[in-house]
Amino acid sequence: MLDFTFTEEQEMIRESVRDFAQRKIAPIAMEMEKTKQIPEDVIQGMAELGLIAPTVSTKYGGQGFDAVTAGIIAEELSRADPTGSIPVFYLVQASWGHVFNKYGTEEAKQEILPNVTKGKWFLGIATTESDAGSDVLGTRTTIRKEGDHYIVNGEKMYISGVREAYTRGGGHITIAKQFPDRGAKGMTMFYLPLQQKGIIPTYVDDLGREGISTGGFTIDNVSIPKHYLVGEEGKGFYIVHEGYEYARGLIAVICAAAGLKSLERGEKYLKERKAFGLPLAKFEALQFRLAEHYTKLSFLRLGSYWALWTYDREGQKKATRFEVSKAIAMAKMFASEWSTQAIDEVMQWQGAFGYTRECTDQAAWRAIRSFAWAEGSKEIMRVIVARELLGKEYTAYK
Amino acid sequence: MKILVLVKQVPDTSEVKFNENGVMIREGLQSILNMFDQFAVEEALRIREKYGGEVSVMTLAPEQAKSALQKCLALGADKAYHISDRAFGGSDTLATSYALSLAIKKVGDFDLIMAGNQATDGDTGHIGPQVAQFLGIPHVSYVEKIENVEGDKVLVKSLLEDGYRMIEVKLPALLACIPPPNFEYSNPSMMGIVKAKNKPYVWLKADDIDGDKSRFGLNGSPTRVMKMYPPPKRSRGEVFTGNYNEAVKKIIDVLKEKKVIS
Ligand SMILES: Cc1cc2nc3c(=O)[nH]c(=O)nc-3n(C[C@H](O)[C@H](O)[C@H](O)COP(=O)(O)OP(=O)(O)OC[C@H]3O[C@@H](n4cnc5c(N)ncnc54)[C@H](O)[C@@H]3O)c2cc1C
Ligand SMILES: Cc1cc2nc3c(=O)[nH]c(=O)nc-3n(C[C@H](O)[C@H](O)[C@H](O)COP(=O)(O)OP(=O)(O)OC[C@H]3O[C@@H](n4cnc5c(N)ncnc54)[C@H](O)[C@@H]3O)c2cc1C
Repeated sequence: MLDFTFTEEQEMIRESVRDFAQRKIAPIAMEMEKTKQIPEDVIQGMAELGLIAPTVSTKYGGQGFDAVTAGIIAEELSRADPTGSIPVFYLVQASWGHVFNKYGTEEAKQEILPNVTKGKWFLGIATTESDAGSDVLGTRTTIRKEGDHYIVNGEKMYISGVREAYTRGGGHITIAKQFPDRGAKGMTMFYLPLQQKGIIPTYVDDLGREGISTGGFTIDNVSIPKHYLVGEEGKGFYIVHEGYEYARGLIAVICAAAGLKSLERGEKYLKERKAFGLPLAKFEALQFRLAEHYTKLSFLRLGSYWALWTYDREGQKKATRFEVSKAIAMAKMFASEWSTQAIDEVMQWQGAFGYTRECTDQAAWRAIRSFAWAEGSKEIMRVIVARELLGKEYTAYK
Repeated sequence: MKILVLVKQVPDTSEVKFNENGVMIREGLQSILNMFDQFAVEEALRIREKYGGEVSVMTLAPEQAKSALQKCLALGADKAYHISDRAFGGSDTLATSYALSLAIKKVGDFDLIMAGNQATDGDTGHIGPQVAQFLGIPHVSYVEKIENVEGDKVLVKSLLEDGYRMIEVKLPALLACIPPPNFEYSNPSMMGIVKAKNKPYVWLKADDIDGDKSRFGLNGSPTRVMKMYPPPKRSRGEVFTGNYNEAVKKIIDVLKEKKVIS
């Protein structure tokens, strides 16, 4: 019953992505801290290999990959890019590409998805607002029907890839309130192209993942054609969680990979650096920390793939929605924390050098720290697992 | 145009370690497609794109070399032939090229056969020319580029020690290829990998290729490897430091002293 192996095809995918990522991404990764963007030839190289939104059907230029296979790609990209920029660029589009592919209209998919998979446009997600993050029902942005189209008003904040979609083209799958009195059944999702009148972007100076922007935008009387709806009116709240879960699973893999990669750098340093006449690697106090972090992160890695596998099993009708939510929340709950703790330790081993911007691991620390919030905070993961254990009737609020 | 590329799986020697006796530690080394062969495959695919046709790949190797052929299919080759049989164990380059040439005769009429100029492990550079000899067709080595195909002729750029020559050769022919210094190899695309598993993969046993069985494997291999050792370390050359004029003067003095110049 237990079989922890990947298929032959998945192994080939890993090998190809690893070789590409180590040759084309690893050498330029730290430069993104300064240039604040992903080099165009890297994006084009990713597109040529089929690494952008590979979860989208082949019909729209994707690969039709399942969540586990998408996870393998995420892992290799994370191992190559300590700044986390390319992993974010990848995971957002893979997750929300999957959602768009499943719930978007045929017309919108044909128009948008090939541009995304070709690396021309960026596809993001916009749910968070200045006054509403974890509490999606607190969303203030509104959408209303007007004739054969919709009118959107509001503001979104702390959104990944705003500059990318605003300058390259593309947009964000956005959630807004359509029927204020219907609670969870009153939310609607739609695709919002950012290059249009009525959208004004803003940017935040966040701590890490420097190669990709974080920002927000105001939405002032923007008109959306009917075919940009993602799923039916009033279904947004449910659909958004499917996307979150996909993203959380990938994030968990990315955190494990970044931490394990940092430990590899750390091991090398421990062997090279001497103090008191001995290589640091000989001090058991440090050995134990290495062993502990490695063990935790290896379990995190396994748990993440298990969660993604559970996600795929739902597609095969072998797992329920609730099992998926719980598995994914368990995978993400400690992902950022364990990974940043390991990376923090590796910075510590490097002495004062660990506190300089030259040190690769500090960039990884800043990147991975974001995942304690992004796509669902670590506290909310606990809320979800507890809810699945105790039953909905014990949720503290509606 | 029907093209066949001969490929070999080799240990990844980019991170090779040696034991205290100077023998290569093979354990833990990954197996990869010989880089010369990957170049030959990519060149074959370019020719196919330009002139149409079909690209097949072939190896003589144990089962585990399947991943190398699979990679060729993922890069875009159309069909793979895998010759694998205990009877071929211990083949030297003569037995290998004999068996390959029999298999080639068996499986089809190819207009062009391509190989790597050398394999990064054995490194003899024998196989290409020997296969051509067995097949009775012309061959060119050190081919860096196929410039043109016209009718039954190909024009190729072949490297010399201090330059290159353009050679026109009549098909069918064999080209032993060498990647140019700026060669940037491709990674198989996701689509390529997915498609590879539905492409024809043909296994061939010793019984499937007609030939003199006494010339297969160890029995058919006159070569014996006596000993493997790393070449003696050369002493480091002398480095002249200091400012430009001083260093040049010192070099001239030494050259005069050694009577290289007067
Ligand atoms: C770098 C970065 C990129 C991001 N990219 C995107 C994006 O692309 N699209 C997007 O829509 N959003 C994005 N976000 C926003 C992210 O999804 C939110 O930060 C997250 O959902 C938390 O919302 P909040 O920041 O409003 O915090 P709040 O919801 O205000 O929460 C504040 C704190 O209270 C805790 N908390 C809240 N409710 C509970 C509870 N019931 N029990 C216990 N603790 C609770 C939270 O965990 C948090 O620690 C991004 C965030 C970051 C940092
Ligand atoms: C189990 C085993 C036992 C061996 N025993 C002996 C031995 O006893 N004596 C001995 O001399 N050598 C022995 N060899 C080495 C073997 O003969 C050579 O590796 C082989 O003949 C190829 O020579 P090379 O590596 O120098 O390739 P080269 O001639 O340098 O390769 C040039 C090109 O020929 C093609 N090519 C090479 N090999 C193959 C192949 N197998 N299938 C398809 N195309 C190929 C490729 O395109 C390659 O780039 C043994 C090898 C094995 C695996």
